[in-house]
Amino acid sequence: MNNRAAAVSLHGVTKRFGEDVVAVDDVDLEIRDGEFFSLLGPSGCGKTTTLRMIAGLEFPTEGSVRIHGEEMGLRSPDKRPVNTVFQSYALFPHMNVADNVAFGLKMKKIDDSEVRRRVGEAIDLVRLTGLDDRSPNALSGGQQQRVALARALVNQPAVLLLDEPLGALDLKLRQTMQLELKDIQNEVGITFVYVTHDQGEALTMSDRIGVMDEGRLAQFGPPEDIYESPQNLFVAGFVGQMCHLSAVVAEPGSVRLKGGELVGARTTTPNGTGVTLTVRPEKLSLYASASEAPQGRNALKGSIARRTFYGESLEYEVQLGASGSIEVRVENIPSIRRWSVGDQVIIDFHPEAAIALTE
Amino acid sequence: MTTLHQGAAARPRVDRSLAIFGWLVFAFLYLPIVVVVVFSFSGSESVGRWGGFSLRWYEQMLGSEQLLNSLENSVVVALISTAVATVLGTAAALSLDRYRRWVGRGAFDGLLYLPVIIPDVTMAVMLLLWFTSTGVIPLGRGSITLAHIAFLISFVAIVVRARLAHMDPAMEDAAADLYANRWQTFRRVTLPLIMPGVLGGALLALTLSLDDVVITSFVQGPGSTTLPVYVFGLIRRTVTPVINAVSTLMIVVSMVLVLASLLFQNRTGRRTESKESDQ
Amino acid sequence: MKLLDERETVEGQEVNPRLERRARRQESWRGFFHAAPAYVYLTFFFVLPLLIIFVFSFASRSNTGKPLLENWNLDSWTRLADPLVRTIAVRSLTMAIANTVLCLLIAYPFAYWIATRARQRTRTLLLIAVLIPFWSNFLVRTYAWRMLLDSDGYITQFGELTGLWGRMLFTQPAVFIGLVYGYLPFMVLPLYAALERMDWSLVEAGRDLYASGSKAFRKITLPLSKPGIIAGSILVFIPSLGAYVTPDILGGARTNLLGNLIVTQFQAARNWPFGSAISGAILIVMLVATMIYFRTGGRTI
Repeated sequence: MNNRAAAVSLHGVTKRFGEDVVAVDDVDLEIRDGEFFSLLGPSGCGKTTTLRMIAGLEFPTEGSVRIHGEEMGLRSPDKRPVNTVFQSYALFPHMNVADNVAFGLKMKKIDDSEVRRRVGEAIDLVRLTGLDDRSPNALSGGQQQRVALARALVNQPAVLLLDEPLGALDLKLRQTMQLELKDIQNEVGITFVYVTHDQGEALTMSDRIGVMDEGRLAQFGPPEDIYESPQNLFVAGFVGQMCHLSAVVAEPGSVRLKGGELVGARTTTPNGTGVTLTVRPEKLSLYASASEAPQGRNALKGSIARRTFYGESLEYEVQLGASGSIEVRVENIPSIRRWSVGDQVIIDFHPEAAIALTE
Repeated sequence: MTTLHQGAAARPRVDRSLAIFGWLVFAFLYLPIVVVVVFSFSGSESVGRWGGFSLRWYEQMLGSEQLLNSLENSVVVALISTAVATVLGTAAALSLDRYRRWVGRGAFDGLLYLPVIIPDVTMAVMLLLWFTSTGVIPLGRGSITLAHIAFLISFVAIVVRARLAHMDPAMEDAAADLYANRWQTFRRVTLPLIMPGVLGGALLALTLSLDDVVITSFVQGPGSTTLPVYVFGLIRRTVTPVINAVSTLMIVVSMVLVLASLLFQNRTGRRTESKESDQ
Repeated sequence: MKLLDERETVEGQEVNPRLERRARRQESWRGFFHAAPAYVYLTFFFVLPLLIIFVFSFASRSNTGKPLLENWNLDSWTRLADPLVRTIAVRSLTMAIANTVLCLLIAYPFAYWIATRARQRTRTLLLIAVLIPFWSNFLVRTYAWRMLLDSDGYITQFGELTGLWGRMLFTQPAVFIGLVYGYLPFMVLPLYAALERMDWSLVEAGRDLYASGSKAFRKITLPLSKPGIIAGSILVFIPSLGAYVTPDILGGARTNLLGNLIVTQFQAARNWPFGSAISGAILIVMLVATMIYFRTGGRTI
């Protein structure tokens, strides 16, 4: 393994607080140079703690943290080539925007003219030109966030760490900032390690995602892999919506539901194992009869139990009798038929869209 | 959560009675002081009676060498003890707020509160015994200063600690993240942010030092009395209206100090606190 | 610790698994370092003097009043049981308790009034207004009452005219007024702080569940402000036990409290060991009261 290519590598990193709290449990991770990597998970899953261990604000109980191949050990944050954008932004209220941004450079004793130049560039990069003189309290949330970003980027760190930076912003602003962050990252080419609990955010922005659950790394890979091929029930349920049906593996590539139906699916376990069949609601289609549905795919019979209107889509809860119930999400467009409660339908989907998971 | 001032719009009758009571209390608090100030300008020899406007007591006060001497002692002791206590108290506050686990922390936390609640008679006695039995420091300005520092440290620590608790710990994390070592973080981030607290603590210490009677009277030596102790002596001997004049002087000084501290805290504090008030 | 040996040489580089413990030890040292100067100072000029009191209380008295560090005895402590001392002690205790109670009764509605003002600015101004007299010299404030209650003064005249009271000065009530006046702000501030922090929606919930105004106050507001009550009481009770200046100026010879008794031992009566014993006794009471405070979950001041 060529360690020099990895911007950040974590080996067996564990963090324990006291006797019984394990915040991070044996995490192995390699973050590639120049990539946008997200750590995704619910509150308390250990993602922020992991980030802080990279930053040097915490030290691992076990394991090693390496940046560009160099073991960080006990190095305090001021001796690491990383910078952090904090969740609360942590802008120094007693300094104006320019002084905030210049802080890291001044600490490194870079000379004044160079400082001024780089600060100007950073402020332009985050599109806050002209606001040099303002005090942080006089800025909006979005502007403060950009100052925090500029303050970190101006130091040209090897890795930029971001701790849920968009959490405090409202929806529309968040969406705008997500695109901007991505653009900036492309422009600057620095490795970004981004912590968030918002799976939509992670999916849109990242080159690769690491999903964490209770301290452990549940899965990591590109967004498509995480979304289309979850490796366990946690990832399946946490990222995007998922339907669950109990089943047993009948033969490789096929499972039998509780009600007896045979369904084609991706299997990884031997025949006879109890599994949960998972499939995403948007991959299902509804037809009035089996003859209308495409051949050679899965077809389940059921009746509409509930219909919910979501604006851009409709969701139907379909009862399958003994096998359980399943949610089907359909786009709200004229070419797709609208069903009513009580209608008998056929649910059609491709076997590749269904995954049998055991845990 | 709704706080008291948001929700408790009391029934009008109760509220009015509360207000009347409130103003009565204020009258009670201010009446004596106002009377002292007013009567300092009274020409009458009798302390409690008005005898026409006069400045004679002020003249007498400014002419008394003993009084001016004691004033000088008060100021010197107050300045030195405040300076030392502020430094030690601020460091103590930092040690408790920023470092959660170290040997003896619990005991130190407790120890720091004792000087605040101990009756000053007790403290006066124990310091007198201490100075006379060890014999190292003679009773005089030095012993007074050392005694003052002993109780001032705690007050400074309390005020600074309150201010520290307000500060977002991420600030220091951010400074470290931006390559500041511990000393730089303190000097450029922590200290400016807690400065209102430090100054508030220093002003409190200054006032308490200037105020002190009992402890000073016990540990003072010949010729080194402070203003309040001198006045105390005057009161015990004979009450003449000169005391009104001296008291007025002391009241004015206190008020100036308080207003100065508030103005300063308001100016610098407002910048750091407006973010919190947005929540 | 299963990874210990495995990870110790990852790709030829050594990994130290004991990082965290070293970090914690560093932090521990730094914390101590910051506290050290104050710690040392207070040990020398507070803790040791505290212990000296007890040492001296067992010493014997010499002609000059300064204690002789020989002939250790319990004389001073047995003298505490003297009827004279007991009278004074009881008087001081009653005064201190009465002072605390009265301060509480006055300060509570007052603090409540300030805390319920709607605008932050109003509350701040009112608090400053409370603090200004408080900041004035304690001696001056006590002297002010000395002046007001003087036999030549208007208050006494008024009392004599209306027959409501006679000579006010050098009486116990005078001392009492002086004590309340002196310590009232110590009660107001913690009460205000506790009330300000209170979550009013709890009272609203109580009202929603059919509690009347006064019931809601008794069962919700009052208990919630308990920490403030206790803190204020400690701040008033303990110092008033050892009050000296106030009874001296306003009470004269007639009202002798513990504080005066102690000071006399170091001046006229020249009995330092006895003075130490009384001080020691007060200290013990104080420590017990503080422990009760912290035991009932008191917060830091």
